Amino acid sequence: MVSDTSVHIPKTHYEQFHDHPIDGQGLKQLVSAALSWLKTNQQIVNKLNVFPVPDGDTGTNMVLTMQAAFDEIATNPERNTGKMAHAIAHGALMGARGNSGVILSQLWRGFARALDNQEYLDGRSLVRAFAEGRDTAYKGVVHPVEGTILTVAKDTASAAEKALKETENPIDILTKIIPAADESVAHTPELLPVLKEAGVVDSGGKGLFFILEGMLRYINNQSLDTPLTTVQPLSSMNLEGSLNTLEPGQDYELIIDFQPSAPLVLEGFYNQLEEIGTSIQLGEGDGFYRLHIHVPTEKRYEPIDYTMSLGTITKVSMENLVEQMEARERESGETKLPLAIVEPGQIAVIAVAPGPGIAMIFASLGAAAIVEGGQTMNPSTQEIVHAFENLPTDKIIILPNNKNIILAAQAVKLLTVKQVEVIPSKSVPQGLAAIFCFAPDGEFDSVVEDMSTAVNEVETGEITTATRTVEIDGVKVNEGQLIVLHNGKLIYGTSSLEDACLGFLEKAQTKQRENITLFYGENLTKQEAYRIADVIRSHYPNQQIEVKDGGQPHYQFIISVE
Amino acid sequence: MTEETTPIGSIHVSPKAIATIAFHAALLSYGVVGLAPKNFVNGLTNAVVKDPTHGIEVHYDGQDINIDIYIVVEYGTRIKTVAISVGETVRFQVEKALGMPLNEVNVHVQNLRVSDTD
Repeated sequence: MVSDTSVHIPKTHYEQFHDHPIDGQGLKQLVSAALSWLKTNQQIVNKLNVFPVPDGDTGTNMVLTMQAAFDEIATNPERNTGKMAHAIAHGALMGARGNSGVILSQLWRGFARALDNQEYLDGRSLVRAFAEGRDTAYKGVVHPVEGTILTVAKDTASAAEKALKETENPIDILTKIIPAADESVAHTPELLPVLKEAGVVDSGGKGLFFILEGMLRYINNQSLDTPLTTVQPLSSMNLEGSLNTLEPGQDYELIIDFQPSAPLVLEGFYNQLEEIGTSIQLGEGDGFYRLHIHVPTEKRYEPIDYTMSLGTITKVSMENLVEQMEARERESGETKLPLAIVEPGQIAVIAVAPGPGIAMIFASLGAAAIVEGGQTMNPSTQEIVHAFENLPTDKIIILPNNKNIILAAQAVKLLTVKQVEVIPSKSVPQGLAAIFCFAPDGEFDSVVEDMSTAVNEVETGEITTATRTVEIDGVKVNEGQLIVLHNGKLIYGTSSLEDACLGFLEKAQTKQRENITLFYGENLTKQEAYRIADVIRSHYPNQQIEVKDGGQPHYQFIISVE
Repeated sequence: MTEETTPIGSIHVSPKAIATIAFHAALLSYGVVGLAPKNFVNGLTNAVVKDPTHGIEVHYDGQDINIDIYIVVEYGTRIKTVAISVGETVRFQVEKALGMPLNEVNVHVQNLRVSDTD
């Protein structure tokens, strides 16, 4: 803290507030600081929630209430503290959220009433304002519950009255009541058993503490951006990437385990790190500290250098957040299926799909739900039921798309009261051919019939790698060779993918057909798939050839010819 | 009469019992300074009742449980917010005690009590 000496020092917040009268604009600065500090610690307050109680996120509610209070005065040029306090109280009242917000607004209301028309905030009026805030808040409830924000307000007001005996400077009084508020918060579990059982302190009380502490931190020129829960147990550190958006300067995440050679001075430690990065968390346990920080690319080694200067580093992990964020976006883009919305009374199609690409195609063709599954992972009957039981219709058509899944799909009928028909599609191409004939508003029986007929109008080719040497139907293949199945029947073994495709197409009498669709699997690259499509095109120039990313496991290609 | 059948017989919970739970939950809510009878007419704040059945009505139609609460709110609080938290608190406490879901919890602000004017 800067001391009050005769040497002239540059004008600091401390000098401004300590040595000059606090007017309405000063009060506004303090409210702004309180809001910032409360926001910084919002999650800490939220986590103090005694589950399960109805007043959910106390931190959020208090932040919203303080935000409303600040918004009310943000552009207010008023210099009279009393009038400013009334404006704050009005904003808090209008924006009060949740129990804690209402109590907070009552504290401000009493605070404002005590300052009525007071030009400056002096020590006496500050103490009176705390007392009036407490009285007003207590009036708002029949049976005040102790061990809550009310108790903290009461203890703070008492501490202020006591401090007034020693000093009349409002800032000195504020400085003295912060530890009292802190102590009062720590004492709340003794007064309220439910807190003790949950092993937490009262969230509203803690929020009030942050509001007061934020004001003092601002006056003392301390940062309002880094949560100062000081050190938390390692187990409670929240290191899971829950970032939704990256802000500039959050390129890398560093987690550093270190053992300081001398006890850490947290104040200096945080100040130093704030120069480097954001989202700073410090955890302690098992004799070491764990530091979490987000830093811009150019400063990615600085936290390491800094912690190394303090002691011994045992472990460092560094992650590129920008890259992770992009990867997550790519993933979420893929998993979001454009499923059909089913209206009551319509028919819904449930398709079993062996890969994300194929799932996407079924969804875009009108499937209302997708069940993951295929050759090597057959979905259970239960999984299929889950997929449709919440749809708002009782007319259900299932496309198993694999001959091993047809039975499981048919068993669904025993588990549901809905009207279920299974189209016996033995492969993805058959399923696709069927869904092309699907009409959601059609007559159930005739739609089922159309779809069942369509199944047989397509030739299915599947190309995969033989897992063992085998001879079936006179065709011998060796382990590791590519095998070709035509409508589920083994026809061919070869070592080249082009050969496999061409062999199947010939067998399927493709010359007399119009369309060839190639779904390439997860074990094949796009380039490779397109290269093979070009080879096929040179052999079948009259046919329409489409290449789609099926994403299915194990099968290099699923080929549909129609 | 709210009831549930178990393998060994039925459990009956009277509306008055439910009203008592709701009464205490409401009075513990911040901003509520009392309950008032439904037909409370003019600003007789002193007539705040102590018998829960006057300020709370429990309706059970054989299927749904609905509760109406008639409250007096402290002047100077945000009435809407207080009413919402009363509704949430009452619903939570009653459902927890009863083990059955409530259909509607209606909060009626019958009056304000003015302790301090601003």
